[in-house]
Amino acid sequence: MSAHVVEVGTELPPLVLHYTREDLVRYAGASGDFNPIHWSDRAARALGMPSVIAHGMLTMGKALRIVTDWVGDPARVEGYFVRFTKPVPVPDDDAGVDVHVTARVTALEDGLATIAIDALLGETRVLGSAQAQVRCG
Amino acid sequence: MSLSDAHVGRTYPATRPYLVSREKIAEFARALGDDNPAYAGDRPQAPPTFAAVLAAQAWDALFSDPELDMKLAQTIHGDQRFAWRRPLRAGDEVVARLTIDKVRSRGASAFVTVSVALSTSAGESLVTATSTLLHTWPEVTA
Repeated sequence: MSAHVVEVGTELPPLVLHYTREDLVRYAGASGDFNPIHWSDRAARALGMPSVIAHGMLTMGKALRIVTDWVGDPARVEGYFVRFTKPVPVPDDDAGVDVHVTARVTALEDGLATIAIDALLGETRVLGSAQAQVRCG
Repeated sequence: MSLSDAHVGRTYPATRPYLVSREKIAEFARALGDDNPAYAGDRPQAPPTFAAVLAAQAWDALFSDPELDMKLAQTIHGDQRFAWRRPLRAGDEVVARLTIDKVRSRGASAFVTVSVALSTSAGESLVTATSTLLHTWPEVTA
C-alpha cells in the first residue's frame, strides 16, 4: 500500500470475475444461500430470468477483491455499498461468463479513500452506485 | 399484506452465537476465488462480505414473524451496505440483531430496509450490514 500514490482519480488495476455453474454451487454451500434461482434453470425461468443467475452477494464479494488486492490487508476496508441492478446469468457450459471490474479513487479525506467500482457484463452494469471506503493512511 | 411502517423500529432478539472457524473462512474465501493470505494461517480474518452470511441468518426473524407475512421466496435483495469496525476473525463468537429501519409500500410490494448489527457475544461491535429488500405479496383476487 505504501508504495502506491493515492490521489483522487487514481485507477486501481482492473479485475475479471469468472463464473461457472460450479462456482455458484460452491458459493451456495459456503454461504448457506440455497435459493433455487442460483442452481435450477426451472426456478430461474419461473421468475423471468433467462437461466440460473449468480448470487448478488457473490458478485459483491468477488468485486471487492479489486480493492483488497490493491490495499493488501482487507482489514483496511471500512465500508462497502452496492445496488444489485442487473442479474448475472451463468450458462451451463465449460466457458462460463466474465464480469469486468474497474475502480478509481473518487475522494480522499483524512486517510480514508472512497473508491467507486464498476462491474460490467458486456455492456450491462450489474452493480449500481458501488463504492468502498478504505483506510489508506 | 401486513408489513407496514408501524413496524419501523422493531428489533428482534439476538441470534444464537456463531463461532467463526478457520475452516469456514477458508471455505468462504475459496468460494470467492480469493487467495489473499489474510484469509489463511492460524488466526485468519474472514473476507469482509462473510458478514452477509451471519446477517442473512438474522433475516430469518423477519420470515418467522407472523405479523409481517413475508416469505424468502418472494424477496429480492435490492442493495447492501456494510460498515465495519473490525474484521471478523477465527475464534470470534458472533451474535446478530436485526432492526427494521424503514418500510416503503408500493401496491402489493414493499421496500423494507433492515440493519443487522453483528457483535461478539461479549458485546464488542464488529459490523453493521444494512439491506434493502423488495418483498412482493401475491395478488389477492376477490
